[in-house]
Amino acid sequence: MNASWRHSLVYLTVIAVVGISVVFGALFISATNMVTRQRAQEESTENIGRLLDIVESTVGIACFVGDQALAQEVAHGLLKNPEVLGVVIRNDKQELAHTYRVLSTPQLAEQAVKARLSRVVRSPFNPNERVGEIYLDPNPDEIDRQIKQDVSFVGLMLTLQIAGTIAAIILVLIYLIVKPIKRMSDRLHQMDAAAGNQLRIPKGHANTEIGRLANDINALAGHLMASLEDERELRHLSEIGEKKYQAIFANAETGIFIANRESAIESFNPAFSRLLDMHPDTMERNGKKHIADLAWCIPARLSQLICDCIDNNKMCSDDLELGAGNKLTRWLNLVLSPIGDNMVQGVVVDVTERKLSESTALRQAVTDPLTGLANRHGFGHEVMQLIKQHENDPGKCFALMLINLDGFKRVNEALGMPMGDAVLKVAALRLNNCLKSGDTVARIGGDEYAAILPNATGEELSSVIAERIISVLRENFDVHSTPIKLGASIGIAFFPSDGKDLPALLRDAELALSRAKSTGGNQFNFFDTGMTEAAERRRAMETDMHQALPRNEFELFYQPIVDLVSNQLAGAEALIRWHHPEKGLIPPDAFIPLAEETGFIVELGSWILETASRQLAEWQTAGKDYYISINVSGHQIPNGITPEKLAETIRRYGINPSRLALEITEGVLLADVNQALSWLQAVRELGCRIYLDDFGTGYSSLSYLKRFPVTTVKVDKSFVRDMSKDSSDLALVEAIVAMARSLGLNVVAEGVETMAQLELLRQMNCRSIQGYYFSKPVPIEQFAKVATRVEALLASTKNLTAG
Amino acid sequence: MCRAHYAAAAVSWRSSFCNIALLFVFVIMAVGETPVSADELAVVANPRSGIDQLSHDEVINIFMGRSRQLSSGITAQPIDLPATQAEKTNFYRLLVNKDLAEINSYWARLHFSGRIPPPMVAKNAANVIEIVASTPGAIGYINQSMVTTTVKQVFELGTQQYERELAP
Repeated sequence: MNASWRHSLVYLTVIAVVGISVVFGALFISATNMVTRQRAQEESTENIGRLLDIVESTVGIACFVGDQALAQEVAHGLLKNPEVLGVVIRNDKQELAHTYRVLSTPQLAEQAVKARLSRVVRSPFNPNERVGEIYLDPNPDEIDRQIKQDVSFVGLMLTLQIAGTIAAIILVLIYLIVKPIKRMSDRLHQMDAAAGNQLRIPKGHANTEIGRLANDINALAGHLMASLEDERELRHLSEIGEKKYQAIFANAETGIFIANRESAIESFNPAFSRLLDMHPDTMERNGKKHIADLAWCIPARLSQLICDCIDNNKMCSDDLELGAGNKLTRWLNLVLSPIGDNMVQGVVVDVTERKLSESTALRQAVTDPLTGLANRHGFGHEVMQLIKQHENDPGKCFALMLINLDGFKRVNEALGMPMGDAVLKVAALRLNNCLKSGDTVARIGGDEYAAILPNATGEELSSVIAERIISVLRENFDVHSTPIKLGASIGIAFFPSDGKDLPALLRDAELALSRAKSTGGNQFNFFDTGMTEAAERRRAMETDMHQALPRNEFELFYQPIVDLVSNQLAGAEALIRWHHPEKGLIPPDAFIPLAEETGFIVELGSWILETASRQLAEWQTAGKDYYISINVSGHQIPNGITPEKLAETIRRYGINPSRLALEITEGVLLADVNQALSWLQAVRELGCRIYLDDFGTGYSSLSYLKRFPVTTVKVDKSFVRDMSKDSSDLALVEAIVAMARSLGLNVVAEGVETMAQLELLRQMNCRSIQGYYFSKPVPIEQFAKVATRVEALLASTKNLTAG
Repeated sequence: MCRAHYAAAAVSWRSSFCNIALLFVFVIMAVGETPVSADELAVVANPRSGIDQLSHDEVINIFMGRSRQLSSGITAQPIDLPATQAEKTNFYRLLVNKDLAEINSYWARLHFSGRIPPPMVAKNAANVIEIVASTPGAIGYINQSMVTTTVKQVFELGTQQYERELAP
C-alpha cells in the first residue's frame, strides 16, 4: 500500500480535481478581475457624477460670481471623497480652484486623466447660460484597492469551495468505490469457484456498477467452470475413441505407421512389421527404426515421397518395390498423409499381385499376339519414348521404316488365313534377324511392319538395312511345304528431319512406301517433301473430281473415225475432258489414273456411258449411222460397267448395240483372265463391239486376240506416227493389219496426221482411220461442222487417189 | 432614412408636448397670480447715475452680485426690500424666477467668502426711493405706481418679463 498510493483512485482523483480547479479558478479569477475593474470604474464614474450633482448648484454660484474661495471650498469638500483624485473648477474668466491629492503610484495619473469627468457649469438663474466648467479625476488607487479586495474575496471563496469538493470526492470515492472494490478483491482471493462459491455483492451496491461487476465476475466464473467441465468430458470421450482406434490399428491387415521427415518410425502396427519383414537389428539408427533403410529397390524414392508429403502438406501416394537383391520383389502401395509437426502417417498395402497383372496387361496391350512383335500401340509408345529422349538429347535421331509385303493379299485369298498368318510369323522372324538389338520392329497392321532404327540415321546405312530386308523377304516362304514367293516394299522417314511427331513420321513413311509400291514394289524409297506436295495435290484433285460431276465440269469430245472402204465418216471415239474451274482443261491422263485408284472411275464411266448413249440415240433419231467408242478401264470390269447395266442403258435409249463400242486395253485382259473373258463374252452377246486399244505397246500377246472376243484392234499412234520414217514401225503396222485381217478383225489406225500416213495405211488396206489429219477431238456442237469438212476431205482424197 | 424621420418626428413631438405643458403652466399662473400683473415693478436708479436703461441681465448681475460695474463707470449699489414686503417676493420671482428661500440660500453660500455682499436692505419702498434718490450708484425696485421724479426708471419688470423669463 505504501508505494501504490500514487496509483490509488483517491490520489488520482484528487490530482485531477485540483488540476482542473486550478485551471478553472485561474480563469474565473482573471474574469472576476476584469469584471470587477470595469464595474469599479463604472461605479466610481457614477459616484463622482453623483458628487457633481450634489455640488452642482454651489459650483454654479461660485462660477457665476467668480468666487474662488467658494470654488476651493467645494473642491476640498469633493477631495474628501477617496474616489476623487483631483478637482479643477474654472469659469469663463479664470481657474477658480485646482486641488489634487498625492498619488501612491504617479503612473496612474495618466490613467486618471483619461477617466476624467467634466461637466459644464450653468448659471443658477439661466440654464442656458454657461458660466464655467468643473473637472473631476477619479482616483485609480481607490479603484485598484476595490479590485484587490473583490478578487481576494473571490479567490478565498474558490479555495474553500475546491477544498470542500475534494474532501467530498475523497470521502465518496473511499466509501462508495475503493472500499467495496477492496472488499471484493479480498473475497475473490478466498473464493473457490470450483466449489460453486459466488462473489457476494457489497451492501448497497445491488444496482451500481460495482454490483454489476460482481455479477459479471460470477457469470465469468460460471462459464469457466462449464468450459472446464466440457473439456473434461471431451478428454474422456477421446480416450474412449483412442481405445477404439487402438484396436483397429492393432488388428488391421493394412500396415499403418507414423514417421518423421527422416523416415524414423514413431509407431507402427503389427501388419506393418509383417508387410515390411522388419528385422529390428537392420533398421536401428540412433535408437530408432528408419523405414528408408529397408531394402527398397529405389531407396531415394521413399525419402522423397515423405519430404513431398510434408513440404506440400498434401496426401502422397506411390507404389514402391521392396526386396532389392532378392529374386522375388514385392510391390507395396504407400499412402502418406501429413499430420503436422514434420510427421507423416502412412498406410501400406501389398499390391504385388495387382502390379503383376497390370504389367501383364500392359505387355499384352502393346504386343501383337500373332508374331510376338510390338503392335501399333506398342510401336507408337516406343516412338514417343524416342521423341521424348530427343528433347533431352537433341543428338538422338532415328529412322522409321514401313515394310509391306507385296502380294500378301493374294496369298491370304488364295491359300487362306492360316497360311497367311504363318507367312506373317516367318516374315516377323526374318525381320527380327535383320535388325540389331537396339532396333524395334513391330507389326502395325495386316501385312505392314514397322521398324525403328535409332542407329541408322543416315541414308546409306538405312539403304543397306532396307536392301537386306527386301532380300530376306524375297526368299521363298516354305509354309507347310508350300513354297510362297513374295516381295517387299519399304518406305523410310527420318526423325526429326522428316517429321517431328508420330503421325507426321507415319504419314511420311507411308508416302514413301506408296511410292515404292506404285513404282513396281520390291524396292525402298526415302521420303522427300515432294511426296507430301504430290499427295496434297492428289487429295485436292480427288476432292475437285468428286465435285466435278454434279457441277457438270466433265464433257465428252468426239474424234471422228473414217471408213476408207465406204469413204465415209463411220463414227467417233468419245474422249473425256475436264473443265476445271481454276486449272482450266485437264487432260485425261492427268486425272484418270487417280480416278482409277480411288474408284471414282466407276462413277465417271457410268456418266460416259450415259452421255455417249444419249448422243447415239440423238444421231439415230437424226438418221445418222455413226458409232461411238468409249474407253473402259480395267477397274470398271467386271463391276463398274456390268453387262446388265449396259443392256439396261441400251434398252433405255433404244440404241442399236452394234453402234456402241467399248475400248479396253491389254492390261484388262492380263489382270484376271477368267473374269475378263466372261465379261467380254457377255458384252459381245449384247451386240456391242470390243476394241482393243493401244495395241502393240504392251504384251500384245497374239493368243489374246484369239482367246478374247475382240472385234477391232486399234494400232497405237506411236507406230503410226513413225511409220513413214521408221521402216520397222511400218513393218509392224503392216503385220498388225495383215494379222487382224486374217483373224477377221477390223483395224483402226490412230494418230494419223498427214496425207502420207493416210496413203500408206490405205495401201495396207487398213480400213478405219482416226487422227488429226481429219480432225482433233471436238465438242459435240462442232461435230456436225467437222463431219461436213471430213466428208469434203474424203471426197478430195478419193479423187486424188483415183487420180 | 427611416430612422432619421422617426427621430425628427420624435423631436417635433417632444417640442409640441413642451408647448402644451407650458400653455398649461400659463393658465395656472394667469388664474393664481392675477394681482402680479396689476402691480408692475419698476427698477429705478439715481438720475445722475448716467444710465437710462438697464437690461434684464444687467439687473440680475447687479442684484445677484455678479457684476456691479455700471456702463457709466459708477459702481452700482443694489437696494433690496425686507422679506416682509410683497414686492421683494414679486421682484425675485419676476427677475430670476426664484422664491425668497432660494435667494437666501444663494446668499448664504456666497456669504461664506464674504467677498461679494448681498444688496443693502431698505426699510420699505419709500426708503428705497429715498436711498436711490440720494446715492448716485444706488439701484432699487418699487411698484411702478410709486415711481417719483426723484428716481429714474431704468427697467420695468412685468408680466412680459415674466413671460420672457419663462420662455426657454
